[in-house]
Amino acid sequence: MFLQVLFRVLPSSDLWQSTLQFAALLLLPALGGVISERSGVVNIAMEGMMLTGAYAGVMTTLATHNVIIGVAGAMIAGGLMALVHAIVSINFKANQIVSGIAINIAALGLTNYLLFIQTGGQGVPSLKDALRLPNLAWGPLANIPFIGRVLFQQNIIFYVAVLILLGIQFLLFRTNIGLRIRAVGEHPQAADTAGVNVRLIRYLCVIGSGLLSGLAGAFLALGIAGIFNSNMTAGFGFIALAAMIFGKYTPWGTAGACIIFGLGQALSVRMQDSGISASLLSTLPYILTIIALVGLVGRTTPPAADGIPYEPGTE
Amino acid sequence: MAVSTASPTSNLILRLRRFAQAFERPLFAIVLAMVAGGIVIMITTPGSPVDRFNEALAAYQALLSGAFGNAQNFSFTLTTMTPLILAGLSVAIAFRAGLFNIGAAGQLAMGAMTTGIIGLEASHWPGWLLIPTMLIGGTLAGAVWGGIVGLLKAWRGAHEVVTTIMLNWTAFYFTDFLINGPFAAAHATNQTNQLPPQGTLPHIADFYNSTLGTFLPKIDQPAQYLVDVGLFFALAALVVYWFIVSRTTFGYEVRVLGQNPKAARYAGIPIKRNIFAVMAIAGAFSGLAGALQLMGQFPFQLIANTFYLQPTGFDAIGVALLGRTTAIGVLLASLLFGGLRQGGTIMQLNANVPGDLAYIIQALVLFSIASEFLPAIQRALPKGLMSRRPPLVPAAIGATVTDLPAKDNASVEDGAKRAEMQKADAVEGGAAQSLPTGESSSSSSSRIEED
Repeated sequence: MFLQVLFRVLPSSDLWQSTLQFAALLLLPALGGVISERSGVVNIAMEGMMLTGAYAGVMTTLATHNVIIGVAGAMIAGGLMALVHAIVSINFKANQIVSGIAINIAALGLTNYLLFIQTGGQGVPSLKDALRLPNLAWGPLANIPFIGRVLFQQNIIFYVAVLILLGIQFLLFRTNIGLRIRAVGEHPQAADTAGVNVRLIRYLCVIGSGLLSGLAGAFLALGIAGIFNSNMTAGFGFIALAAMIFGKYTPWGTAGACIIFGLGQALSVRMQDSGISASLLSTLPYILTIIALVGLVGRTTPPAADGIPYEPGTE
Repeated sequence: MAVSTASPTSNLILRLRRFAQAFERPLFAIVLAMVAGGIVIMITTPGSPVDRFNEALAAYQALLSGAFGNAQNFSFTLTTMTPLILAGLSVAIAFRAGLFNIGAAGQLAMGAMTTGIIGLEASHWPGWLLIPTMLIGGTLAGAVWGGIVGLLKAWRGAHEVVTTIMLNWTAFYFTDFLINGPFAAAHATNQTNQLPPQGTLPHIADFYNSTLGTFLPKIDQPAQYLVDVGLFFALAALVVYWFIVSRTTFGYEVRVLGQNPKAARYAGIPIKRNIFAVMAIAGAFSGLAGALQLMGQFPFQLIANTFYLQPTGFDAIGVALLGRTTAIGVLLASLLFGGLRQGGTIMQLNANVPGDLAYIIQALVLFSIASEFLPAIQRALPKGLMSRRPPLVPAAIGATVTDLPAKDNASVEDGAKRAEMQKADAVEGGAAQSLPTGESSSSSSSRIEED
């Protein structure tokens, strides 16, 4: 029964279209996590930054009637949350996990609080199509059977995410700045001695992770859903965290993990008549990540200085 | 400290002062968070500055009276306290071993689920048999869920922060599957049947009236006091926690492990076994929390899509940190957090300020404790006023690099040094080096060249 439905669903272009859509949604915060952790700051707050971004995106779009400004607002909101994380964990040398948890709680509280103040608990109206992030159709390319639907009829943010993926891969491994980021994450003392500004690099990377998570929030609220709901991220930020670890903190690996987890999401939406529960399918990303952590599919190792505040003058 | 030479009175004064010092930073965190929360209210309400200030004042008044104002409200607060105490202990005991358990939410979900399954499947059993079976079943399920984390940490070096997050979501979806699927109620979706009446816990007021109340004055209208006898289990768990941590060899080993893993290793303390045991006990506390919540609180049934929305698992981290991982601290902190949660609901009704303010205040408490704002301010003051004490939350706890638990009282600064030391140990081939720190640091440092 399960296999029958699976084989019926698998060749459908819609399944793969939504697989890639979910993959892009996960990829943005996951890449944010990659740069943050590569620079040595643990970030488990992608969920909260996404949620803040989604809220700010919808509110700025409604206020300005301009979705571009809405996306900018989402990214700024995500970036501001990340700034708090950066100040607390870099300047105050706080425990980065506690700070991340606090960001997630604060994001949930703040968005619900403001939503209630603004709408009296009624919720916001859904956005008109003109105010949503558009799906693109690449002219004749979009008409190619299967591939056209899967690759050339995606939301605009999907293509942005692909560009960001290439950009971050290039940044991390082909540029001077990327070398510095990785050095700061592996051995900040050595990097400092070599004249790298450890704090600045870490600040930029953490804020970058907030901008990307905010963009993902905008994608979710302004592109996919067209509305803001309380706690609408519902764990996407944590799947992104899983994807980052499953992808061994590399952009390509993370992208691969996002496609696998995106397929899981798309299947769980589409396989409701298969007799296998969507909830059961939803556990897969997390179980796979644990298996990866345990080392059954190649061990995952974080950067050496990940999570340790840098104190100049220590060995 | 030269306590032994001091006279009994100065000894007492010293102890009192230390007691007061223990409250200093948590209190500061609470006050700071409340002030900041007040500012949030003032920003978001219309009117003149005076109006805004009065609004904030009225909101806090409603919050306070909603949490502690009368016996009925206080009984609600106590009800929310029961799972908070237990989940808080779950996080606290892991902290003692230098482990970061953010999996209380998942362990609680598994505990509640197992309790519910036992209650539904054995619904014909008499209460005296059913209730203990349900409690033990829930506790064991939590212990298994926490124990997995310990196993993976001790024998495979998998970081507990990541595994607990993953296991949380696994638990949330898995329980949803069970609630929607095999254990769904016959005529409703998204929920199970209610527990059989003999499988639920009585309210304290009813319990009192039917026992002591038979010869002492009875409580009027017992139905309005919601708190159930689960609270007694939570209070007992506090005593058990204190006893384990302060009065047993195991607790001693755990504390050594948390404060100085190197010393623990040289002293021959079985590190792997203790990591596993601590996480299993932590899971057991959370599992019991889930069991008591299900058996003691309306609607006495499992509902899908609720566990991931429940704040208890994350509140527990605040409770453990604010309570400085001591039994009495956890009790006071869960009273505060339970009060915030309960008072927030009343505040929303009476002052029209959203109860979600409670989340904001809790987040600010966490920031304040983790950031050590008070010591930071003290450092900025003249030298004489400065008091340097170890941080409440060592930054390196849960830092991904330290496969071995971080030193609890180590100053933040030598986190990196410690990583280096561990690496050196591994190179020496230290036989007792149980976890692959050396391997991980060398492979990750070689990655820079590879890429």
